[in-house]
Amino acid sequence: MAFNFNWSPLTADAGFYERARDLLTTALNKSPKPPIIVDDIFVTEFNLGSVPPDLEILEIGDLAEDRFRGIFKMCYSGDAFLTLKTRVQANPLNTYLSGKPGFASPEPLSASSSLTIPLQITLSEIKLSAFIIVVFSKQKGLTLVFRNDPLESLKVSSTFDSIPFVRDYLQRTIEQKLRDLMMDELPAIIHRLSLQIWCPDQIVKEDEEQSKETVDHTVNPLSTPPLDAVDAEGRLLDPAAISELSLETGAETQSLFSQKSLFKLSSLTSTQETSSLFTPSIKEVMYRAWAGPSDRVDTTGTPGPATPSLHRTTSYTNGTAHTYTFSDTASQDQGHLPSRPSMVSLNSATAGLSLGSGRHSKAGRKKKTRVVNLRGKTTSEGGSEAGESSETASTSTAPASEPIMSHPILEVPEEEMPASSNKVRFGGSHLRRPSFRGDREPAKVSETPVPSIEISAPNTTQKQPTRQSSPVDIKVPADWSRPRAPSEISPSVILEQAWVMKMAGEIARRVYDEKNRNPQFWEERDDTPPPAYEPRP
Amino acid sequence: MREFMQYVRNAFYGATGWSEDNSYKDLNVTARELIDFPLPRGIRLSLSSLATPHFATSYQLCNVGVVDGSISYLHSSVPLTAVPAQSDRIPLGALMRSYRGLHQLGSRGGTAWSWETGPQAGTTPQVPAFADVDRIPNKDKSSLLYGRLYLPQSLLEAMVIKRFSSTLQVQISAVSEQSLRNGGTMLSVVQYDRGNYGIEGLYSTDGGLLGLRGLYNFGGDASVAALSAQNGPGSPESVEKERIYGRFSAGGEMYYGTLNKSGGMSVGARFATLPTHKGTPLTATLTINPLMGNINTTYSLLAKDFLAMATRMEFNAYSYESDWAVGLELWSNRRPAGFLLGAEPSLALESAESEPPIKKERSFQAKMEWRLDDPEPEPIKDVEKPTERKEEYLGVLKARLSSNLNLGLVWEGRAKSLLFSLGTGVDLQRLGEPFRSLGLEVQYSS
Repeated sequence: MAFNFNWSPLTADAGFYERARDLLTTALNKSPKPPIIVDDIFVTEFNLGSVPPDLEILEIGDLAEDRFRGIFKMCYSGDAFLTLKTRVQANPLNTYLSGKPGFASPEPLSASSSLTIPLQITLSEIKLSAFIIVVFSKQKGLTLVFRNDPLESLKVSSTFDSIPFVRDYLQRTIEQKLRDLMMDELPAIIHRLSLQIWCPDQIVKEDEEQSKETVDHTVNPLSTPPLDAVDAEGRLLDPAAISELSLETGAETQSLFSQKSLFKLSSLTSTQETSSLFTPSIKEVMYRAWAGPSDRVDTTGTPGPATPSLHRTTSYTNGTAHTYTFSDTASQDQGHLPSRPSMVSLNSATAGLSLGSGRHSKAGRKKKTRVVNLRGKTTSEGGSEAGESSETASTSTAPASEPIMSHPILEVPEEEMPASSNKVRFGGSHLRRPSFRGDREPAKVSETPVPSIEISAPNTTQKQPTRQSSPVDIKVPADWSRPRAPSEISPSVILEQAWVMKMAGEIARRVYDEKNRNPQFWEERDDTPPPAYEPRP
Repeated sequence: MREFMQYVRNAFYGATGWSEDNSYKDLNVTARELIDFPLPRGIRLSLSSLATPHFATSYQLCNVGVVDGSISYLHSSVPLTAVPAQSDRIPLGALMRSYRGLHQLGSRGGTAWSWETGPQAGTTPQVPAFADVDRIPNKDKSSLLYGRLYLPQSLLEAMVIKRFSSTLQVQISAVSEQSLRNGGTMLSVVQYDRGNYGIEGLYSTDGGLLGLRGLYNFGGDASVAALSAQNGPGSPESVEKERIYGRFSAGGEMYYGTLNKSGGMSVGARFATLPTHKGTPLTATLTINPLMGNINTTYSLLAKDFLAMATRMEFNAYSYESDWAVGLELWSNRRPAGFLLGAEPSLALESAESEPPIKKERSFQAKMEWRLDDPEPEPIKDVEKPTERKEEYLGVLKARLSSNLNLGLVWEGRAKSLLFSLGTGVDLQRLGEPFRSLGLEVQYSS
């Protein structure tokens, strides 16, 4: 799978730089400035350069026509530059006195007289390396969040380059300010820009609190073509081709979807808007609810210890991600795809899923995930004599209608299964994933040559503090409890997810400890774990 | 308008005979006060009292959008018995007059504090409290304690002034507030004043700032000849020197922050006429900051007893930035809000002054002796007139205009026993909404 980034159209647009300059100027002047800066900061020059950033897809969490969520790794060492102009106070005594109470001020007569100096700062040779979470939704616009501090290095050249003290100070201050800008302001800027581009009505709605609920809340995912459409080979599609594909223009494409299945889909949608427990079943459809936990059993081989009730809710929310049925059906019959209106964005999913067959051939050979079912155990928690059950992913028909309860499973230490992990690297080499929880060390991921769209949770290992003697590690898939909001991906979702994950991990560990203390308590819940889900090759 | 506590502090300085002429910090204080007078903002009420000669309290309530206030206490080891503290008796000049003339050198403690009643005070001491300064017991060991608590912000100000000898004084001021770094800051100043020169050393805990200021007087009464002339008048040299009715002062300041490794300095000079000068009192200063290329000149004069003016020009030789400001102070003997109170004070004065002369009959004895009556003795009224004229000022209008066309206007005065200060700031560049601030200050003390 590949994305084509058109770096040049950004620069070709004449108004783009002007807009960007204005946005940057307002962003820089918004926060209260230190007393050394006595004037507004103006962005005089801004150029993105000709070298595009390197993007590496780490994970695609959600993919549909009208929304997208994924994690990227971005590296940038291009020739972009930015020139700022402002005026600074050159008298250190003047800045020293500002903000000090006048009562205990030494009250210098003229030693604190001001000397303002125009200052021009050029930021160049910007080196960025960041993990980016991109959440896009047609309704909510584009949200971009940096998981870590993106700024690696930066060259600050200014009017004061000849004075090393001032130069170092400026370098330090500007790096800090830029870090804040990247982490706090840039997501907001991008969000506003995306709102302007994709949903200007949203801004209107935000401005005037008119509750225009009638504005089509259930957006037909096929109604509007995507902006930067590429076909399966990654070529850009011209708008004419897109309009051919679009649902509105081509009447014959409408017939590709039968009215019946569309009705079923809409009823499925409407169930998510009520608290009804009834979920209509659709044939030949993989529900995310089924796919979710077992899929992750497949990928990580070890579902984490979890409280069943908690997991039930998550699987319920997982079930609300109904759009996944689209991608899966699409993946099942690829022959229809080129004529599908939703092809463009589905293609990426399809490509990944179809490539999954290669993985399975491999997985069938190599995969020997040794899992320990805790529920089978009664008293002895040594972990060495734990019942082991090797699960090979084989089923393609997922068990229906019942939310899956995941069960805490102990796993034999990782060294025993070096090749069993079927993590997917797009870039390839050993690299450490960003840990979703700061207190857990990310596991090293073994290299798998076959690319796949398999969305793997970060494999975080964790030592049990209470049982030091046990050689057993608990592996917790980090996103096993991530709530899937149906179409409400807002900027705060990511924060929420992180929090929920942290909380869920905490709860899971508590429950696990509790269970270790009296295993009888959990005895009656002994039911066989559901077979894991694997997409049909 | 100065606050009551500052008035009491100045009275303490006057009572102990400490003059601030030799402080480099106050080199251009006259022009600064004429130009940079504070504009009242919002509504501020203060209630003050000099409860005992040693103890003063002041309560303040402000309303600038939010209501806050402050409580302050002051203790002086020197009894301030004769200081008029009642707001209907406080000399307005002590509270409001900006032009500060020099004190007579060598007359320390005697006729000091001309600020109190104006530039002529040096010649005719008015305030009894400071006429008998010499009689105050051990004024050289006097001390002053001052504390002020701003209530909602819980900001605490404290100040200790301690005199060690007639020439040495230590002043420690501290501010405690949560938002400050380290929770507060403290400044200690050691002041040494030898009459013809004064040195100050200071240390601030904020950034470890060390400072040194000094001022040296020469010319006029400070010259050696003049000093000797004071001892033995009549020498022809001193007569020659008498033509310069002014004093030159030159000084400098230096600061160094030990923690942030930064510093600053400036040098300055001043010429000011002496109180003995019969012409127009004037003060001119020049300060130069060679590090920052800043040149600052002020010129202020007391054109009439009721009119003082000041100009200030600033120029930066490095950045070519310039700035100017003018200030004006106009005293009036019209009663404030007289049209409201009904009575026209000038009428009352005139009626008192121009009472019709009574046509006297020639005395019987004179008639008998074929001569006219003896001329009546001259009324003593004319002698007392200057003092009366001093006190008849009832208000003052202060105005300033700066280079960015900001106009500040304050009217300060006394009505009944309340002291008012009403001011506004006007931005002449934006005439659409010119009033930038408006304020009223009411002060009552007993």
